[in-house]
Amino acid sequence: MPDERPDDQTARLVRAAQRGDTLAMAELLDLLAPYVGRVCAPIALDQGADAAQDALVAVFKSLRALKDPAALHGWVRAIAVREAVRTAHRAARTVPADLSALPARGDPQLSADISDVLDRLSPEHRAVLMLRDVEGLDERTAAALLGVRTGTVKSRLHRARDTFRKAWTS
Amino acid sequence: MNERWPTIDLDPVRRLHALAAGIRGAHVTEAHVDAPFERVWSLLGDLEGGFGQVVTDMERLRVVHRQGERVEALARSRYGMRARLRGVQRPGWCWLQSRFLLIGVAATPEGPGTRVAFTGGVRLPSRAALISLGVRREGVRSVENLTALL
Repeated sequence: MPDERPDDQTARLVRAAQRGDTLAMAELLDLLAPYVGRVCAPIALDQGADAAQDALVAVFKSLRALKDPAALHGWVRAIAVREAVRTAHRAARTVPADLSALPARGDPQLSADISDVLDRLSPEHRAVLMLRDVEGLDERTAAALLGVRTGTVKSRLHRARDTFRKAWTS
Repeated sequence: MNERWPTIDLDPVRRLHALAAGIRGAHVTEAHVDAPFERVWSLLGDLEGGFGQVVTDMERLRVVHRQGERVEALARSRYGMRARLRGVQRPGWCWLQSRFLLIGVAATPEGPGTRVAFTGGVRLPSRAALISLGVRREGVRSVENLTALL
């Protein structure tokens, strides 16, 4: 179906996969794996591959529960973030408390070395940062996805800027 | 901006686990073999040759159509069943299904050797489910066959 729109193609694949067509499932996996990798890596860091695999396992185990194929993207994102945060916590990375804050969008430090920035944050903070700067979500949506209050995300984003910069430039 | 963010390219063995998780009754047999990926895939990627020697449920397999990664093959199982398998094949990945059969093979370099994974079996007609009888045994046998050929 060469003229098919990408959204229509994805919806068709989801429906076929839900009906038990394993080739459609494999095709869906090819579509989703890079996206899940982009969501999980900034949150789970060294455990990114484990997180992405666990997320995709969860996706394919519960694919039949997805009622609206158009909601696939957001549904997969929620699963991937959850699995990445869980995997990162399981790995028990320690994070300095005074650096558990986020740089602002477009912060030059952020674009200088994103890996170094991520390394200094808690998994939840990394998730907020990724959801905001990669996925383009607002704080409210990010908070809902992570199961925390909007105020918490907002104040962290706001307050963190100076703290982060001081730590970075000291 | 996004190109600076870390990302993960999930290897085929991990992908096979993810896909098998959505198939009721499927089991993934995974092993490390002491041979480089190129050597391993020269066998597993040869559908009409080495593939059938490793996945021994297939007595004979003949590729009838290939377009890019998509492949269609006629197979005859050692139990006499015939099957028209359709699927995708690329280096490190092979996923084939017919109405009654499912075959999944994955491989990825691991140090100087290769990590391989097998899944599949007799499929409940047109469903994402396998008859669980013998799926573990087949996987172990495939690893043994592959090791013996290397």
